[in-house]
Amino acid sequence: MAGVNVLIAEDSRIQAKILQKRLTDAGHTVRWAENGADALKLAREQRPDIIISDIEMPVMTGYEFCKAVKTDPALQGVPLILMSTLSDPIDIIRGLDAGADNYVTKPYDPDYLLGRMQSLLATPLGDPAEEATLEVAVAGQKFRVQAGRQQVLNLLVSTFENAVAKNQELIAANEDLSLARDKLQQSNSELSALNDKISTINARMVRDLEAAAKVQRSLLPPDDAALPAASVAWRYVPCQDLAGDFLNFFPLDAEHAGLFVVDVSGHGVPSSLMAVTVGRFLSPKVTDQSLLVRQRPDGSVAVATPAEVATQLNRLFQADEFSGLYFTILYGVLHVPTGRLEYASGGHPALLHVPASGPPAYHGAEGFPIGFVPDVEYAQASLQLAPGDRIYLYSDGVTEAMDKEQTPLGEEALVNCLSASRGRPLDETVAGLLATVEQWCQPNGPLDDVSILGLEWRPERQ
Amino acid sequence: MDAYRRIQTGKTGDVHLVVFKDKKILDDTTLDEIKKEIAALLGKATGPDVLLDFCNVEFMSSAMLGLLGQLHRKISAGHGRLKMCNIRPEIFQVFKLTSLDKLFSIHKDAPTALATFT
Repeated sequence: MAGVNVLIAEDSRIQAKILQKRLTDAGHTVRWAENGADALKLAREQRPDIIISDIEMPVMTGYEFCKAVKTDPALQGVPLILMSTLSDPIDIIRGLDAGADNYVTKPYDPDYLLGRMQSLLATPLGDPAEEATLEVAVAGQKFRVQAGRQQVLNLLVSTFENAVAKNQELIAANEDLSLARDKLQQSNSELSALNDKISTINARMVRDLEAAAKVQRSLLPPDDAALPAASVAWRYVPCQDLAGDFLNFFPLDAEHAGLFVVDVSGHGVPSSLMAVTVGRFLSPKVTDQSLLVRQRPDGSVAVATPAEVATQLNRLFQADEFSGLYFTILYGVLHVPTGRLEYASGGHPALLHVPASGPPAYHGAEGFPIGFVPDVEYAQASLQLAPGDRIYLYSDGVTEAMDKEQTPLGEEALVNCLSASRGRPLDETVAGLLATVEQWCQPNGPLDDVSILGLEWRPERQ
Repeated sequence: MDAYRRIQTGKTGDVHLVVFKDKKILDDTTLDEIKKEIAALLGKATGPDVLLDFCNVEFMSSAMLGLLGQLHRKISAGHGRLKMCNIRPEIFQVFKLTSLDKLFSIHKDAPTALATFT
């Protein structure tokens, strides 16, 4: 196409510049006006070969400008392309009515626009004298438009081309969509396979955890556990499936009973594995492993002192060999006939003594947590019980139970709770203490394992 | 910019200063990160002198004691010294309960603690 004289009416400076550059590059001469009125002036100054006009413009719209060109005898033969969004069928009627020769939809492809220009310039416009009045109904409205046959044909073709282009875009978009859907479906099925796998693994873990929890329950007193000349009550609430706490009591020989609460640091599987391992050494049965009792050469049973037990445990369970895990223990041996309690503490909270008469008091023994310091000898303390006296062993999950404001329950509350309930049966006092702890931790519940072991010495009357 | 998320570090003479940033040292993740960061700080140093500053710490789980124990054993084994300072009464209670106030060297504040290293 030889260079022609193009007039652009476009209010957007940027749009106009882009179009101007494209046309200049194609060898055309370009003039630009930013509204219809100015464009009309330019057209009258020098007749252009072709006009490209936007529709939305200030001062004079594209339709008005087009009508002015097409009713000007000197200009009506100049082909005019309207740039429209063609968002409404009525746009076509308006274009026809204004006498536009062609449409290009915005945003336009520059090559497509050049193609349009070429075909328009190659096809001579019809004689305006042939113009006839057409009546069309669009969207329930009747329009009467004056248009030449060539003009109608051009518009029809451009509209159709536009529809075809849009349709192709739509088809391409559909294909993309369909591809995306396939991909999504594939991802979905992969996800679902993965989910199945997770479910399977989860089910296995739940089974394993249940089995482990069962093993751990074996560390606790059996239902029928009892001591001579003493009543015992206990509560144990792990904060997860697996706990680091455990407690137990049992006769060691004809005259001695052992009782303890152990608290392994941390929670969950590592702590519970350690608890089970420690538990094996705290057996009342004479075995190779038991630290509590051993057989003398004459076959009789020797009961180890609490200090010996703590010292031995510390020798066996150095924290560095158990990935930093350590535990605290309060271990007591009650001489059942006399009510004398010997005990040792490996960093464990002091026991609370609630005498049958008189104020309650804490009794602790010095001693680092088990596993903290190699090769230390643990101290031993003793407490003489009177008939009807009670002692309570517990884990720090009791005294350090936190309320909403992160205030610990504290030792004072323990004393108050157990003094208030001292007239009640032992089991009720233990249950009452647990209820106090659980109440304190509302609404989140305890964040640590809670263990409570209460013992009341009730010697037979002599 | 500080290189660590959980601890702020400094050095006074030969003493490594470690200030815990957390208000609460309760969950295993925090504990693990603290452990790794201290290990990274001390690197392969044998027997370093270390001062742990608890000024920000309001709550601490007993598992943290385990970490302090490990650190204590490791540093003592190399003839280094581990000291602690700015421990709130509530937290000191945890040390006292476990008799660890007698194992660890605990001081009122950083200047007092630093003076004892000489």
